[in-house]
Amino acid sequence: MESARKNLRVFLAFFTPSFGWLVLFFVAPLLIIFLYSVGETVSLTEVKTTWTLQNYIRILEPEILTLLWRSLWLALISTAVCLVVGYPVALVIATAPGRWKPWLLLIVILPFWTNLLIRTYALLNILGTRGRVNELLEWLWIQADGFLTLIGLGAYNLIGEEFEPIVFLGRWSGVIIGLVYVHLPFTVLPIYAALERLDRSYLEASLDLGASQWRTFRSVLLPLTMAGVATAAIITFIPMLGSYLTPALLGRGQVDMIANVIERQFKGANDWPFGAAMSLLLLYVTFIILAIQAFAAMRKTRGAADG
Amino acid sequence: MAKVRKSRPGPFDYARKRSLQIVFLLTTIFLYAPILVLIIFSFNNSRRGGNVIWRGFTTDYYVKAANNASLMEAFANSITIAVISTIFSVILGAITAVTLWRFRFPLKPGYEGLVALPIVVPEICLGVAIAIFFSYFNLYMPPGTPWPFNLTNIIVAHITFSFPFAAMVIRTRLTTFNREMEEAAKDLGATEFQVFRDILLPHMKPGLIAGGLLAFTLSLDDFVITFFTSGPDTVTFPVKVYSMVRFSVTPEINAASTVLILITLILTAVAMRFQTFGDERT
Amino acid sequence: MKRPNLSLSRRAALQGIGAVGLSFSLPKSLKAQSGTVNFYNWDTYIGETTLADFTAATGINVQYDLFADNEELFAKFRGGNPGYDLIVPTNDFVERFIVADLLQPLDHSRIPNIANVEPGFMNPAHDPGRQYSMPYMWGTIGIGYRKSEVSGTPDSWAHLYTSDEYANKIALLGEPTTVLQMAFKLMGKSLNDWSDENLAAAEEMIIAQKSKITAFAPDNGQDLLLAGEVDLAQEWNGDILQAMDEDDDIGYVVPQEGGLLWEDDLCIPVGAPNPEGAHELINYILDAEAGAAIADYIYYATPNKAARELLSADYNENPAIFPSQATIDKSEVSLFPGQEVLAKIDAAWTRIRAAG
Repeated sequence: MESARKNLRVFLAFFTPSFGWLVLFFVAPLLIIFLYSVGETVSLTEVKTTWTLQNYIRILEPEILTLLWRSLWLALISTAVCLVVGYPVALVIATAPGRWKPWLLLIVILPFWTNLLIRTYALLNILGTRGRVNELLEWLWIQADGFLTLIGLGAYNLIGEEFEPIVFLGRWSGVIIGLVYVHLPFTVLPIYAALERLDRSYLEASLDLGASQWRTFRSVLLPLTMAGVATAAIITFIPMLGSYLTPALLGRGQVDMIANVIERQFKGANDWPFGAAMSLLLLYVTFIILAIQAFAAMRKTRGAADG
Repeated sequence: MAKVRKSRPGPFDYARKRSLQIVFLLTTIFLYAPILVLIIFSFNNSRRGGNVIWRGFTTDYYVKAANNASLMEAFANSITIAVISTIFSVILGAITAVTLWRFRFPLKPGYEGLVALPIVVPEICLGVAIAIFFSYFNLYMPPGTPWPFNLTNIIVAHITFSFPFAAMVIRTRLTTFNREMEEAAKDLGATEFQVFRDILLPHMKPGLIAGGLLAFTLSLDDFVITFFTSGPDTVTFPVKVYSMVRFSVTPEINAASTVLILITLILTAVAMRFQTFGDERT
Repeated sequence: MKRPNLSLSRRAALQGIGAVGLSFSLPKSLKAQSGTVNFYNWDTYIGETTLADFTAATGINVQYDLFADNEELFAKFRGGNPGYDLIVPTNDFVERFIVADLLQPLDHSRIPNIANVEPGFMNPAHDPGRQYSMPYMWGTIGIGYRKSEVSGTPDSWAHLYTSDEYANKIALLGEPTTVLQMAFKLMGKSLNDWSDENLAAAEEMIIAQKSKITAFAPDNGQDLLLAGEVDLAQEWNGDILQAMDEDDDIGYVVPQEGGLLWEDDLCIPVGAPNPEGAHELINYILDAEAGAAIADYIYYATPNKAARELLSADYNENPAIFPSQATIDKSEVSLFPGQEVLAKIDAAWTRIRAAG
């Protein structure tokens, strides 16, 4: 890493466009939201900045905490599923023959170019109590039941007296399936980017030294691509926390997440200060985490440079 | 095929491992099951409930979709917005990633945090914030602005929320860059620009592709931020869909989506004939 | 173009006055420079050729844009009007827009077709004297049901809110105000009586029933009904009407306790670049023939008396479009409850949704 001062012109050429864009179209709009979050609603369209902390204190109400907690868990579980599924998928793409790669990438990304709402409606069709998955299971059940009767075990009801459909919708399971479905490319793409054209010599060395494939994966490949996994985890987890369509449709309003409350504050409830405070909460937390991380990394590099 | 393979697969031959192929296949089935339902129901002879109950086969909705000018217009708007905002997002994302990777500067952790922030702000909050900002400073394109400049506000908002995603992916890619290559090239007399073009850029390519795909996907499917930052004459496909759902989800929208999937496949096939992609190592 | 205000109420007041002035005496230089009306409406909520006919008749172009729900529409205009001339919110939101100073008063002298509107619609509680809005379409909220799965007609909200009879076969709407208001009707209260006791009782009732409710359906109750996932769905009449079109086994009833009467209105927002054109379009929509063409195409109840006279019995006597007078008498129109009550409604709703 080089000092910005050493090559100030080049640095500014790289730094200014993004920084300028962020300040103009992100920081400035967000300042307005920040002022709302410390303000009070005085009429339908007006918020007075009174520097109150009331909107932040309201986050501590038990039902908001319940939803926050639930959102964290749902997003954590779904992110874990995404990583477990996404890593092998990315690995297959990154190590496939060159001419296959674009097609494999396309296979993974193409479903996401179809509108989310339409896909979610299609998922409802699949996961419903009378949906396609349960139809398939029922068919399997009837076959199994027939088979059991055939071999003379029919009277024992080993697999139940009649087929019981699995309920996904309105449960955690349905929401998790939906969250994984919607966010999988956020996991696959960063891991793919980290894996692509990785230096093979490390893996060769490990295998030559007699390590098993699994051990090579665990102690060489995974650490080498950890940055990709971390990025994947972050950009999968955070947008998941902001999901509201999935809980509303696949959760059938029975498994709400925090973004459903935030959304209502900006819409029906017309309580922008409270909505702003909840929106910024995650921002503060992220900023603190990223800052700590960055400081730690900086100290490490400084330590390395000094030592 | 299993017989031909060496007893121990070579390093990085993961694509040939049966267990991983099965995971890939199952994931593909999971991803495409809803798409398959959507395509089947595009032939459904039903006015309401495109994806609900099968009522017989018809191709009427393809004819309807083809004749629905507003649907086609919404498509065109969405794709235009997505393409332009992807180009900007990849450029901004790449230079942000390079800045963070290459330079040491005061308050760098602060800047790192700042770049990540658009990701963590809930989209409705970001949408409202940008809308107020445009409105407050009178930045909306005046009604009657010719296409595609009437889409400027939406494009600006899309770039704002999608380039940080691209930046993060590209930066991840840069962590695997071998700096000695760069130094060696400089020692051999390569200029700053040559190093960037011939060494850094090729290394970044998978990151640019992944980041670009992510930005494109985010933009194409965005409803909330688009809704809040749009002015007259800027209906996008998601806005059309959300409004249609309120009254009648006809199979027309499934038919249109099916056509879009086909067009994408054809365009990709054509594009790939003209361009090599990734590296050719097998 | 109106700017949203952050805290300065005086400026807001001045702008409001300015806008009122604008609508009557727009300087020539600004007048309809593009000859286009920017019409912000729901999807498929206009006649097939209405807009083209309007352009042919007046030379004014119409740009038809879409929104998806009232809450979003209000939030968007609260941020500022980016250039729309005509919007179509539902009655309680019309009132919300009026209270928020986001609508321009209408100039009735420019809308001679006002004479076609049924007199009963001319002085509604949400906009006395029709100063800001003209009625477009109206309807009810009731219960859609699967005939073969229910005993008799499920004509009480109790089937949805308190009874075990249809446990796990029930869908309520996904939007707080209506769901709570229908609980008020079941309790025998006015749906506009947002007293703390009513709110608490309704909240308790819904939380107790929650485990028996299959879904709080955001606009897809009719799909759940069609797919057989539920047997009773609280829904807008128009949505159930479409489901009935698909499936003979589906019926619609407004419960005996009464339901909700809704009305979508044509309004001109503050900051509209072309209020003259918007007035012309309102007038055209209220025309007998144009109004009949719209109603015949979208199959919602029109308040346009002259248009109804041109339409068939199939439309005019359809009980799912036009409820009986008895039903209308026991049902109510929702009014805007005020910002303070909105916060209470939302808090109750968050508790309901987080419960269990």
